[in-house]
Parts: sequence; C-alpha cells; structure tokens
Amino acid sequence: MNVQELVRDTFQDWSQEEVRPSPDLADRVLRARRRRRARGFAAVAAALVAVVVTAAALPALTGRTDRVRPASFAETVLAHPDQSPPRELIAAGDIAVSAFSGTKWVEQSNGDKVLTRAWQVHNPATGRYERTEWAWLDVAPGLETAAVLEGELPARRIGLLDTSTGKVDRWIEVDRGLASVEWSPDGKRLLATTYSKNPDRFSHDKPMNVNGKEEPGPVQSRTGFYVLDVASGNAEWTERPFDRDRSGFPGNAREDFAWSHDGSLVWAPSMYAPGRIFYDLDGRRMPAPKAEKHVGYPEAGLSPDGRRVAGDFAGADDGINSWVLDAATGRRVEVVPGQQLLAWADDSHLIAWGCDPKRCSGRGEFRNQLLVVSLTSKKVIPLSGFRKAAADGEGRWTPVFSRK
Amino acid sequence: MDADSENDFREFVDHRSPALLRTAMLLSGGDRHAAEDLLQSALMKVAGRWHRVEDPEAYVRQVLYRQQIGIWRVRGRRRELTVASPPEGRSADGAGAAELRVLMRQALGRLTQRQRTVLALRYFEDLPEGEVARLLGCSVGTVRSTTHRSLAKLRRVAPELFTTEADHSGPCHELSSVEVQR
Repeated sequence: MNVQELVRDTFQDWSQEEVRPSPDLADRVLRARRRRRARGFAAVAAALVAVVVTAAALPALTGRTDRVRPASFAETVLAHPDQSPPRELIAAGDIAVSAFSGTKWVEQSNGDKVLTRAWQVHNPATGRYERTEWAWLDVAPGLETAAVLEGELPARRIGLLDTSTGKVDRWIEVDRGLASVEWSPDGKRLLATTYSKNPDRFSHDKPMNVNGKEEPGPVQSRTGFYVLDVASGNAEWTERPFDRDRSGFPGNAREDFAWSHDGSLVWAPSMYAPGRIFYDLDGRRMPAPKAEKHVGYPEAGLSPDGRRVAGDFAGADDGINSWVLDAATGRRVEVVPGQQLLAWADDSHLIAWGCDPKRCSGRGEFRNQLLVVSLTSKKVIPLSGFRKAAADGEGRWTPVFSRK
Repeated sequence: MDADSENDFREFVDHRSPALLRTAMLLSGGDRHAAEDLLQSALMKVAGRWHRVEDPEAYVRQVLYRQQIGIWRVRGRRRELTVASPPEGRSADGAGAAELRVLMRQALGRLTQRQRTVLALRYFEDLPEGEVARLLGCSVGTVRSTTHRSLAKLRRVAPELFTTEADHSGPCHELSSVEVQR
C-alpha cells in the first residue's frame, strides 16, 4: 500500500466512526442565526475566517464560554502593512476593506475615452481579495454579498454576487440604465443611480480644454435613482436629473446618489459647501438631517454614535492632520494624524489615508497608506502598504468599506 | 426563514449532520470542538440561503472545505494540532491495518489545516486536482505542491510508516514511489 492509499484508507476508516452531533444542533443554529440577525449581522458566516469575528461570534454559536469578545480595539485590527494593493483582508473595529478598485482611461476608436475600473473583492472563504470583471460593485454589510453591475455602463440589471463562490445568485432587472449601486446601512435596500449614458465615457463630441489642449469631455446624463428592496426585488424609481451648476461649470458626468447616515434620505454631491444635497426617497429636496448638518467632503462622515464628524485637512505643522468636528455644533474638537478621513472604525477610531512620513513634507503626499488613527491616543496603526503616487492604475487603489 | 423552511432545515440537520460532522472531524484532525465550530458555522451559512441552495449537503461540504482553508489563511499555521507525544516509534513491519491507520491518523493530526484539507479533498472526496483548485480558489500548481508537501510531511513525522524505494528522478515520482511495508 503506498502513502496515498494509506491516507485514503485512513480517511475512510475515520469517516466511518460514530460521532453524534448535539441533538439540538439545528435549533442552536437557528437561534444563533436569529440572534445574529437581530444584532445586525445579517450575513455572517464566512467572515468567521477573521480571528476577531470568530472571537466575537462563537459564544453565540456554541454556547461555550471559553471565548470572549475582543477586549481591546487592537484585537480587531487585521493589518497588512506590507501589501499594496492588499491581498488579504484589512479590517479595524466594525469596518473592513471589502473591495477595492483601480482605474485607467481607455481610448476608444471614435476618439472617446472611458474610465474603467478593475475591482478586487474580498472572498470570505479564502480570506483574500480576488479579481472580478464587474464594471461596478458594492459589498453588503457582512461581506457575504456584493451588488454588481455589468459593463459597459449603464447596466440594466443588478447581480447579487455570493462573494465566497464568485457567482451571481440572483439578478434584479430594471427598466432604466444604472451606473452605480450602494447598499443601505442595514443591508436590506439598494440605492442605484440611473443614467441614460455611461457617465465614465468622456465624449469627443463634448470637448473640454485641458491645459490648452482639447480633450474628450464629460456628458451629463443622470436621470434619477432607484431604491430597491432586496428581499422582494421591488424597485421604485425617482426622477432626479443632474442639478445644473449655478456657475455654468460643466461639472462631473458621474454624480451618484448615496444614503444618509441612517438610510432615511439620499444625497448627491455638490460643488458648494458643505458638499451634500439631501433628498427624500421621492426626490424632494430636504434640509440636511440635524446630525449630518456639518458633514462635508471627507468620506468618513458621521461617527457611528452620531457625536463626531470627520473634518477637512488641518495643516501640516507637526505632520499631516485632519480635523474632527462636534456633530452638534460643527466646532473643531480634535486633530488626528490622517491626511484624508475615509471611514469610522468605531466611535473613537478612523481609517484614513496617511502619507509616507519621510516624504510628506515634500512632493510625496500622494504616496499614502491606510492607517487607523485614534481620537484618544496619538498611536497610529498602519493597515496597508503605500499606494503608488500615479494618477491611476492598479497601484493607485481605492478601498470600498463595509461593516463586518 | 418561515416555519416550513425551518422544519426542512431541522430535518436536514437531523439526517445529515452525523456524516457532516465526521467530515469536519477529518478536517480538524480529530479536534471535536473545532469540528463542531466548523460545522455550525457552515450550517448557519446554508440556513441563511436555504431557499436558494438546491443541494444543501453539497453546499455545506463546500463551505466546510473553503472555510477551513480560509481559517488557515487568516491564522497562518497557528492552529496546527499539537499532540502530547509524537506518534509511536514502533516499526510498521508487524502492524496490522488498523494499527497503521491509527498511526496515520496521528500523523494526519500533525499536518496543518490546509494540508489536511487538500489531502481530504484529493483522497477522501477523490476529487481531481483541477476540481480541488476550483473549490479552494487556488491554482492547480498550488494543489499539487501542497499535496506533495503534505505527503512528505507525513513521511517526516511518521517515518516508521514508510520506507522509500529507489529512483528519485523528480519530486512527484519520489512521492509516488513511497511505499508502506505491511
């Protein structure tokens, strides 16, 4: 018998042994699932690959008491400061880098040029980021499902991708073209921005002057947005075309809608401070919610507890810093050593871009890495390697953040 | 999940969980707690998509394997099972098949999760290399080299089980010539 045969024989023999699972296994699974859904972990399982999540989740699963929630924030951090773009999961607090994209301009034979994105999405089963061919994607809380759009945009359907298998479990068809999609904070709805043309295609028919040279220019074609209920597939469309700019500036072709902090309103970017125009789900213009009144351009926005707001660049006297504001008053209350504040990891930690300390003061501020910065300590935790300072390409990756 | 689905799920778990737990036991190298954890998280996953999964057992098995590889990837080799004592140093010459399997089981318990998973897929599920690669999301070359290293480690941790024969023209051939004396 050779080694392979002995291994085979041993496995067969082992597999015949009588082992009895707990008689209430099914009920325990169902109970644990209900508890977890109630806690907002609508889709969990494969994220168990993360040590942190395993530690947090297993007591509910098994009833065993020898595992406990992480005692400190540091235990929630999965960092790969040697990786750029990252190959393995990056996470801190309640947030993970669920996907990332790089962009490049592709010249077309008719003189147009198209901004194309190369996405990599985290596969919870392998713990690694994997390349995809989708034109657009966003990952739901739990990291198990991604909403994807096919190229060339605009797309006519949204795929619900199982991130563990890389396969689309379900398509939701719509009547209007889509060029972006975003999960609601609770992971139950999708907000999809509709366009009549590809907003990433710059047209030679609409030239713009760039440094004295004619280049293909943007074509505004936004028509509105869908709010889709994922469980039922019901889609409600609201007409909300591009708001023509007061100054007559041509503006961007891509002006996607995004959810407000609590998912009750949507907003679109504005050139004018504070940078967000809010609408209700019927497309009526609304004042900014009280808690988001001082939310500006920095992506991180409002903290999970609604008390703080990520602010702008705070100067470079002692390094590159950003402000953190009081959400109620807009007052600057903290300074954190981040170049650009991207996401709140929890109520007192932010994920930010930070530039190479050796080069920050000179020309190298675009060579930056993901960091965790804290409101309560000066300690900075590097999460990724440094992005290239190039304008586009894979080395210039842009993270997508999702709640774990 | 509605009440009917929950009943279907319970029925599935009642009928199939003994077999699935046995597979989880192989993957965990005989660690009962780890096997239960593995199976429960796989069952949670199938419960979450009960309406969409046509063959729940195949799905759970796939999750078991992929999850095991995923855990390995995040945790590195820290979960390698340690045993109180090395496999017995007795000669295999006079050992019966049952004793050989016990020795082999101890040796398998000393592999990493990734190594054990790949061997289980190749020699327990009898999947071809390409299928293992597809299931685990890696290349055929990775499956091949992991299989190679796993078998080599078995030989290293339990040399008494094997004796090598002549010919070492290449790594693959070297492994295929390893024989067990019965």
